[in-house]
Amino acid sequence: MNKNIILAGVGGQGLVLATKIISETAFRAGLEVKTNDVIGLSQRGGMVWGSVRMGEKVYSPNIPAKEGDILVGLEPLEAFRWSHLMKDGGHIILNTKEVYPTPVLLEEVDYPHEEIEGLENRYKVVKINAREEAKEAGNIKAANTVLIGMLAKLLTIPNSIWEETIRDNVPPKAIDVNIQAFYRGYNYL
Amino acid sequence: MKAVLTGNQAIARGFYEAGGLVAASYPGSPTVEIMETLKGYDGIYAEFSPNEKVALEVAIGGSLYGSRAMVSMKHVGVNIAMDPLMTFTQSPINGGFVLVSGDDPGMASSQNEQDNRIIGRFANMGIFYPGSSQEAKDFIKIALELSERFKTPMMMDITSRVCHSRGVVELGEREEIKAKGFTRDQEKYTMLPPNTFKAQYFMKERIKELEEYAYDASFNILEEVEGADTLIVTSGLMYYNLKELNLPVSIYKLGMVYPISTRRMKELSQKYKNIIVLEEMMPFIENELKLKGIDCKGKEYFSFTGELFTEDIEEGLYKAGVIQERKYKGRDTVKTVARPPMFCSGCPHRPVFDILKKLNVTVIGDIGCYSMSVLPAWKASHVMYSMGATVGITKGMNKAMRKSGDKKPIVSIIGDGTFFHSGLPGFIDLIHQVDEEDNMTFIILNNSTTAMTGGQHNAASGRFNNKDDMQVDIKSLLNAMGIENIQEVDQFEYKKARDIIRQATREKGISVIITTRPCALKYKIKEPHFYVDPEICISCRTCVKVNCPPIRMKKYEGIDELKSSIDPEECVGCSVCSQVCPVGAIKRSQ
Repeated sequence: MNKNIILAGVGGQGLVLATKIISETAFRAGLEVKTNDVIGLSQRGGMVWGSVRMGEKVYSPNIPAKEGDILVGLEPLEAFRWSHLMKDGGHIILNTKEVYPTPVLLEEVDYPHEEIEGLENRYKVVKINAREEAKEAGNIKAANTVLIGMLAKLLTIPNSIWEETIRDNVPPKAIDVNIQAFYRGYNYL
Repeated sequence: MKAVLTGNQAIARGFYEAGGLVAASYPGSPTVEIMETLKGYDGIYAEFSPNEKVALEVAIGGSLYGSRAMVSMKHVGVNIAMDPLMTFTQSPINGGFVLVSGDDPGMASSQNEQDNRIIGRFANMGIFYPGSSQEAKDFIKIALELSERFKTPMMMDITSRVCHSRGVVELGEREEIKAKGFTRDQEKYTMLPPNTFKAQYFMKERIKELEEYAYDASFNILEEVEGADTLIVTSGLMYYNLKELNLPVSIYKLGMVYPISTRRMKELSQKYKNIIVLEEMMPFIENELKLKGIDCKGKEYFSFTGELFTEDIEEGLYKAGVIQERKYKGRDTVKTVARPPMFCSGCPHRPVFDILKKLNVTVIGDIGCYSMSVLPAWKASHVMYSMGATVGITKGMNKAMRKSGDKKPIVSIIGDGTFFHSGLPGFIDLIHQVDEEDNMTFIILNNSTTAMTGGQHNAASGRFNNKDDMQVDIKSLLNAMGIENIQEVDQFEYKKARDIIRQATREKGISVIITTRPCALKYKIKEPHFYVDPEICISCRTCVKVNCPPIRMKKYEGIDELKSSIDPEECVGCSVCSQVCPVGAIKRSQ
């Protein structure tokens, strides 16, 4: 199974931890894995993106243009921004919660709703309000775990391995909520 | 046993396994996580020092005592450490010593793109250049061994992509290495002439021996393809990006990019018609080969700035005639709305820059989260170069202004981490040759952490963290220097802070204002959120201009004009927007 997964979001949304959980799960499933994530200046509300490549043999952590299989969009505009890396017909998991960038806050430009809608013409887009789903599971902080659950449905790694990695990477108090959030995402698709 | 590690974590692991004893660092992207990881290992002394020069000196001390030592910093940090570095490297190394420099091709989070391989060479160090987490770990261990064997300091130059990238790493046990101890030997360790005369020949000889060793060293890998007439010489991540293309070319991958074996390269140049050098940033390997008389090409085909992705490599090799067909058609990005970084909800820097912007004064900035005041939403500081530079620049510009009859005020901004890092000597200089026409206002944003890199310890951290052993009082320190006009202010009392800053800019002399609020990311504000009463809001957008993530204009039902709004999920309740609102439309929820 060779898969190229892109994650896109806004600084502070927890993208680094999501990338870690996905890559460790792939590793525990016996795959080779390499990841990227951008940290630094981008941490303060700027754009952040990560990538996870898994398979028999992985050379570079970078996903070449048009070789992405699945894009996990923690935020719609950021999913749109990184969609150039996606294969036509690839899957986009789209969290619908919009986070407005400075040019929108200052009314210099409009948030690009129509262009984001247009993603559906080229890719298989599944929209979800991950915060709402996480709230149902018990804590809005588990929103990314809902998205990871959806991703798990599109991959073929056993759920037991996902569960194990989630347990090892979230605070002990939050384990149950996150496992629930994972399955809410998994069963959403 | 194997684990998934980032390049940074792998470096820390390598140092641990190699029996490393003393490690120091100053936090700077992309290498911050090395020290954060090291602090979790037993048996290693690990510290974040006040600046890179001190960090290097701590590591030098460890190495002189015959223990294995490592110092890590971002590329520009090496500039701060250059003075001890350039002289220390003249000594024969006792305990293995490695300097890790995090370079930043593409400048994801840096103020310049300097290629520190040039510094490593300048300082007569061998330079390792890893391309994966596994290599990062392996090369640290090899570098420490070679450092002892050849009595040479080593550099590991690693790019930000490799620092942050994760990969599977084989873990080993820690090798306990006993420190050899320090033996007094002035010829080796006191660098005055004539000891330094000999040292020049020693360094030359040492690099020559290392170059001979590089000929068949296991970390330089030759992958030859039968019948190929092109050899690509590369290193680090570029090797892996190249491998994605799966081309019928031979590859010489340098684990150590300096020194490069002349004998090996002469042999290879006999065998191959074309030698192409693939590297990010400066033509370092290319220049080395050319100095050896090897006919090669590199920067003709590949950019000297920014990262090189697989697509860029393909394009370069196509231009070079190595390949006739292209699989990728560049790396076109989606053009859409930009998302520059911004101050967090509740950031204590926000009111300060709102005040300065409204005062319309010239502001000399510095490095930290407050550097973001240069971004388009603010344009509230007007010069920004390097750590601690604001103090001297402000003094110099002030002197030029006064000598030219310009009576306008000038404001300097510096954070606490930067103050301790390299702001102090600038402050000491302030009271030298004071002129009665001077008008300088220094605002020290004391949020008591090194915020930009993720909230590391600094000398002021004990103010809010009782587990921290340092709580240097900035005011007392400045008083001791002879600076008297110092005020402390809670900047969340907006009007009071504004009046103090305004008054300071109107007065002649040297004024220092220390703001007291801690970093809102590290010390979360959990106050009831604010909301906008749209019936009172006059749509003036004063609150929108404080550029806080939850604040924007929106359409309310039954009201034609757009009115301000606050996303209750994002608002932390700092109150700054309510204080700038001229009509009292922003209220606290209960």
